Amino acid sequence: MIMRVSGLALRLIVTLLGGGLLALAQGPPPGPAGPGGRGGGPAPAIDFSGWWTANLQEDSAERGAGPELVDFGGIPINEAGRLWALSYDTSRLTSRFHQCDGYVAPYSVRAIGNTRVWEERDAKLQTLIAIHWYSQTFEGHRVIWMDGRPHPPAYAPHTWMGFSTGEFAGNALRVETTHLKQGWLRRNGAPESDQATLTEFFVRHGDHVTYTSVINDPVFLAEPLIKTTDFFRQPTDPGAWLFPCDDSEQVFGRADDEVPNYLFGKHPYLDEYAKKHEIALLGALGGSQTLYGEFQQNLARASDAEARARTLPAPGPPLTSRAVDPDPHDGDIHVLPARENVYMLVGDGANIVVQTGDEGAFVVDSGSGQLTDKVLAAIRRLSVKPIQFIANTSLHAGHTGGNEKLKNAGSDPSVVGTFLALGTPGAGSTAAIMAHENVTARMDGSLGNPPAPSGAWPIDTYMAGRRRKFHNGDSIEMFYVPNASTDGDSIVHFRRADVIVAGDVFDTTQFPFLDLANGGSVQGEIDALDTILSQTVFEHSGEGGTLVVPGRGYLCDEHEVAEYRDMVAIIRDRVKALIAAGASIEQVKAGRVTADYETRYGANTGPWTTEMFVEAVYKSLKSPVRSKP
Amino acid sequence: MRPSALLPVALLAGICPLWAQAPGPPRGGPASAKRAASFDPTGYWVAQITEDWRYRISAAPKGDPGGIPVNAAGRRVAAGWDPDKDIASGDACKAYGVGGILRMPGRLHITWDGEDVLKMEADSGSQTRWFSFAQPRGKAGDSQGVSMASWDRLRPAISGFQLGGGASVGGSLKVVTTQAKPGYLARNGIPYGATATFTEFYDLFQVPGGDTLLVASVEVTDPEFLTTPYWYSVHFMKQPDANGWTPGPCSVK
Repeated sequence: MIMRVSGLALRLIVTLLGGGLLALAQGPPPGPAGPGGRGGGPAPAIDFSGWWTANLQEDSAERGAGPELVDFGGIPINEAGRLWALSYDTSRLTSRFHQCDGYVAPYSVRAIGNTRVWEERDAKLQTLIAIHWYSQTFEGHRVIWMDGRPHPPAYAPHTWMGFSTGEFAGNALRVETTHLKQGWLRRNGAPESDQATLTEFFVRHGDHVTYTSVINDPVFLAEPLIKTTDFFRQPTDPGAWLFPCDDSEQVFGRADDEVPNYLFGKHPYLDEYAKKHEIALLGALGGSQTLYGEFQQNLARASDAEARARTLPAPGPPLTSRAVDPDPHDGDIHVLPARENVYMLVGDGANIVVQTGDEGAFVVDSGSGQLTDKVLAAIRRLSVKPIQFIANTSLHAGHTGGNEKLKNAGSDPSVVGTFLALGTPGAGSTAAIMAHENVTARMDGSLGNPPAPSGAWPIDTYMAGRRRKFHNGDSIEMFYVPNASTDGDSIVHFRRADVIVAGDVFDTTQFPFLDLANGGSVQGEIDALDTILSQTVFEHSGEGGTLVVPGRGYLCDEHEVAEYRDMVAIIRDRVKALIAAGASIEQVKAGRVTADYETRYGANTGPWTTEMFVEAVYKSLKSPVRSKP
Repeated sequence: MRPSALLPVALLAGICPLWAQAPGPPRGGPASAKRAASFDPTGYWVAQITEDWRYRISAAPKGDPGGIPVNAAGRRVAAGWDPDKDIASGDACKAYGVGGILRMPGRLHITWDGEDVLKMEADSGSQTRWFSFAQPRGKAGDSQGVSMASWDRLRPAISGFQLGGGASVGGSLKVVTTQAKPGYLARNGIPYGATATFTEFYDLFQVPGGDTLLVASVEVTDPEFLTTPYWYSVHFMKQPDANGWTPGPCSVK
């Protein structure tokens, strides 16, 4: 026994000598392995735990009281970013759907307020799982995953804080963040898009942290925006950690579809900041060139006309989207749990939603029909019960292409044995397809459309208002949203799970598909988006809470819907103003009324181009249509 | 009593003091600062002005300190700033001293001057700084002062009693500058005094797209003109060559 213990002890010592302790006998490896880079093997973890406060001695006015209007100097915004910012009327913050908007991660880090950092370690193994970075402002809680997990797919939700992974590199904590919401580069309108990614470096110098952020935004930036700031350790708990916000009525009598904005070239305070501080307007408008010393010479000789030309879209064709395509396009169906028993299926045209439970599966939309066998297989993995109901939000093929196959694979036992089945052989032997009456009327050819196969037609239809069903323990409502993308659109709300399926009314991949030939209109589209917003509730700081599945794109909440609604309303206002001024369709197109949104949603090829969208807006404003709600 | 079970503890207690020292130089004599460098700071660097833009790309109005925690005495000096007087007295470079040069919208050129001295040139105002890791190289009373440099690495307060881990990999370039001639923290005459101390931490990062970033985080303490330490951080992008390097005179307007 003594010998065995001694042997064990010896092995322990040898292990220690050969491993950890020996590390102490060596200095840090000198040489070119610089901090903050990649490679060179894992570096030791660095402790950032504690209470910290951001130093506001730089950009103090902006970070404290707030920036002045049209102060974009030092931000490498591109044309889209500049025009978006110049269109922004701060009164937009009075909108119920923006009052509590949080800050995106890189802006949050620079905000006033307290910060607390702590480690999350595996209880048994003590390995580092995550570093939590909590900011008092908007209660921004970042989780920086340190366990090597991958970033989520492009169709996963975006949040203010995004999804962060980290690693120690040299003497720095390096963090990569994706899946951010649209937010601020500067809170006077300079936007950061939902396509932005963030690289950060945290370096400790005793009780001081140097923080560096690199924002890459293909939508609104011409080059990465790099900022640095400092944090200082607080020895005592500041005791102030919360940041409540509830929205309220701030402007009575304002219509739901009114979004405060300035038309291109009409910002009423365009040169207020420049004049006040005796800076050439060209500098105040920002852009890459303003970052560098050489711009001092440009500032001296910048003409007012040159600056004012930048407040309008440049002539030329529309730009195209630089956004990541959220569809994997890999021939497979991907399942994303939304909430509770509701799932989003991605990969076969429009998004499909499946609700499961003790009863049969309730499916919203059936995809394009290209991958229906895989859709069925995915549903069978989620639900032991067959499909009982299929709801179509739209008549478009991307939503109805799999109708027949899914229907035939399901059944509706609630019909079997009822008086409804009398004289109807086979009743209940397939799933029931539900939709607004106009979907069926257009699919069966009665409104002049080429008929779809009869097996794909919805037969359980409604004509106005809403269709209700309590199923799988949830209250499900279909709301008719008239003359939006078409005259047959519905949105579907799973009330208990609080998931809304928006159909073609809301699409994070393109400008809204206004199908005028099938009864769509821009005003109906805006009203439909407002209908969605009338039913959403955010959890905190304008995010979370009600989830919204777009027709195409990533899983959203009300923030994305509000930004999309704002966009459509703003473009409508621009086209309206041009029509009022007597502009022709060609003049409207040449005016690039979509210029600040093209790098996010634009397309010059494919089934729905920017030009087609602008034309649809123009035509639907010139000849409004209206169905009964 | 099981003496054998205590053996590892006893052995460790005896062994640990052998390592209870800060990591030493590599064998073969003391390493030069250049050989011991955590990263390579040499090359041409261009400042990106993304913070305090109005204050840095052009001079802020007289008396506007921005976020600089200047005290009453400092405000009085700033209020009396007269650029013409600076020119007349040969003090046109007061904003280009150690307290202001890093915030200038220009370029840096950093080279090794021997094994233990880094030379930092700024094209703004044609300034030169010397970061010495051994014998002081700068001149007391000069606008750039006397700068002592070291490679600053995270270390435990007392070494040798932990299992595993140890000092962090890499480290910052730390530069402490004193004895500088009084000058301006900003181009609009916000002053610092002769007893001001400037502590700078330089770090190097590889950013997406392959660019290299040099970040300097600076603490200024000045009992004469500041209420609290003044911290700022600036960054520079690595340039492939000297393109854009345009040394010029100091400008006070």
